Amino acid sequence: MKIVCVIPAFNEAKNILQVVSAVRSYVDEVIVVDDASRDATANLAEQAGATVLRHVINRGQGAALRTGTQAALKANADIIIHFDADNQFQANEIPEVIRPLLTGQAEAVLGSRFLTKKSNLPLTKRIIIHPLARFVNRLFFKIRLSDPQSGFRALKSEVAAKIKIENDGMAHCSEILYQLFKNKVKVTEVPITVTYHNYGQSFGGGLKIILDLLIQKLIK
Amino acid sequence: MIQQILALIVIIFFLIRLFSQKKKKEINSNEFLLWLVFWLLAAAAVIFIKQIDQLVRLLGFSGTAINILVYLVVLALIYQVFRLRLAIAKMEKNISELNQQIALKK
Repeated sequence: MKIVCVIPAFNEAKNILQVVSAVRSYVDEVIVVDDASRDATANLAEQAGATVLRHVINRGQGAALRTGTQAALKANADIIIHFDADNQFQANEIPEVIRPLLTGQAEAVLGSRFLTKKSNLPLTKRIIIHPLARFVNRLFFKIRLSDPQSGFRALKSEVAAKIKIENDGMAHCSEILYQLFKNKVKVTEVPITVTYHNYGQSFGGGLKIILDLLIQKLIK
Repeated sequence: MIQQILALIVIIFFLIRLFSQKKKKEINSNEFLLWLVFWLLAAAAVIFIKQIDQLVRLLGFSGTAINILVYLVVLALIYQVFRLRLAIAKMEKNISELNQQIALKK
């Protein structure tokens, strides 16, 4: 059973060494997609033992995840994990996240910041942005999940091959959820802990996600 | 009358520019045709402004022909911006695809 972790990274020299080193203990291979960083992200990721793919121009987290997932499929991964480069997730939670895949309980696992574990979510995110995102997911995609925008997920390779991430930006989270439900994939949520070092997605960023999703529908 | 002459001078200026761009092959035939029709219609609207005024009244609109023309131009521009947005989104998608192919080849 080959487990590959895909980490999209943009200007993460500060965290990437620590993140890759921590993740490596729990997976067979770490693929870092350097989304045209202007700092030493790529070199540091390589030093930490990751396979590094470089985007020649910055295209966003969705595009980097798409490249990384393709590379993981090419590397014959059985399980593909998506993980953030900014050190907000706990690598030691990887075994808990992939357990439902190993036991056959699920084909896709989504980490949730809103189940039993405590994350230090900023107040505005907890009471405005996430409820709004949940509402958008329900409205656009008829999806009911506790965490609408989690970047920590694990997919069986057959599922990852079916998911076509079209959005280059942050709208990929909603897009992945939609495709999981559209393809009738067995999905489960697992509690995860998130440590916020910065605010992350702002309200404006949330609105951009909605706009991206609309444009995506129109250009299809 | 002076306003009409001024408007026609502006339109002729844009038409000359359009033909010069076509000559230098800076725009393709479809784009050339689209703008040619646009400026010729604009010139026709300026020349036949009185007839359009009568038509506008006949159709029951309270505004003058020039007002209606401005509204139509604004609508056309909004539509053009919308089309451009979609075209850019498609181009960005292609750039991402290319970016991915390069990253995966190395």
